Amino acid sequence: MQRLIAFIEHNIHIMLFVLLQAMCAVLLFSLNPYQQASFTHSAAFITDKSNELSSTVTDYFNLQQQNNLLQAQVSTQFKNDARSSLFFMNDTITLRDTSRHKLFDVVPAEVVYNTIYKASNIFIINKGIKNGIQKNMGVISSQGLAGIVLQSNENYSSVMSLLHINMNVIPTINNLEYYTGLKWDNANPQTLKITGLNKLEEIKVGDKVYTGRSSLLFPAGILIGEISKLETSPSSQYFTTHVKTATNFRNMDYVYVIVNKDIDQLSPLLLDND
Amino acid sequence: MIRLIFYWTAILFLQFVVFNHLGFTAYLAPQVFIVLLITLPLHISKPYQVLLGFILGLIADFFIGTPGIHASACMWLVMIRLLLLGAQDLKEQIANHLPYNVHSVGLSTFAATTAILVVFYHFYVFWLESIGAINWFFILLTTLVSALFTLTVIGVVQLLSDKSSGEF
Repeated sequence: MQRLIAFIEHNIHIMLFVLLQAMCAVLLFSLNPYQQASFTHSAAFITDKSNELSSTVTDYFNLQQQNNLLQAQVSTQFKNDARSSLFFMNDTITLRDTSRHKLFDVVPAEVVYNTIYKASNIFIINKGIKNGIQKNMGVISSQGLAGIVLQSNENYSSVMSLLHINMNVIPTINNLEYYTGLKWDNANPQTLKITGLNKLEEIKVGDKVYTGRSSLLFPAGILIGEISKLETSPSSQYFTTHVKTATNFRNMDYVYVIVNKDIDQLSPLLLDND
Repeated sequence: MIRLIFYWTAILFLQFVVFNHLGFTAYLAPQVFIVLLITLPLHISKPYQVLLGFILGLIADFFIGTPGIHASACMWLVMIRLLLLGAQDLKEQIANHLPYNVHSVGLSTFAATTAILVVFYHFYVFWLESIGAINWFFILLTTLVSALFTLTVIGVVQLLSDKSSGEF
């Protein structure tokens, strides 16, 4: 303690000097216009630099997310294009290929609202009429089929999710289309069911389920899911087929709306046929 | 004591009435009053010297209109003076309560110490004054001209001062 007091006594002029210099600095920078301007300028420079640095750093954190998003987007586009081109090569005489141009456009969108535990689940995306989205357009995620647009306003659209009791998709398994309907039974938000598959059909657990060509909403060959279970009962000649959805509806952040560019020309043809 | 007060008053009067308004050239702004700090009696305690430097600097700031600049410079001058004096053998002068001047420590020592302090002081003041629009050529030239002028005045004052009294 005595040493401390001795130290302070010995150096009190230095402490006084520092204190009074600080007072001088305050006087200097608050009362002299040139020095004040210079100080403000330097302070602003430092603040700007630090802001820039922190923005650079946060941008880097964000890059990962952006990268994932782009990757998903590119892969989906590619998948889509590949499907379309394959489709064009194989089906040169079918109705859809008459114009020989790319039939489907893809509009990326972000999911802003989503439910999975109701009987009639819908989700809302941040694209609407302004972006060319209309009722009855197909919606896919980067993993697979997601739903069908119910209605649109200027900036948003509501989409009937696959997990909606009114949803009905014609499945294609092993390149064969089954007109039995793939439905959700309001039970497990990862499982859809196909009820009318004959036990004689050559299907097994693990087979992939795709969209077929009986719909104008989606390109053929979009993955819906994978057969996870084949339920049989002695009294029935049909399987109850469980299909695990490819899309994970619990964390569906980004989706792509499929725009059929020629729907106006194609629909009347179908009606005439019916 | 009366001589000391007269000496201080005279120097401050000269500084604020004459030397602050020379107006020959923009490069001449001598700060002669710092001789008061350079020649402070050697027995005054360090904190008092710092405080004295601060007060004298504030007075100068008040007359020149540069808040903080001379106060800061005067304190630096006091600190550097303490450092320079610490390297000199001044026990006798301290014991006799003598001021630090040409008569008490000799011409060469006093001249060297004073030259360092005067040049530093002018450079520091002109540098602080020009923050925001620094022109090194102007600062160095002003420092040189003003310091030479100040050193001359200090030399004259020292020669004129009463050798026998040795008070300043």
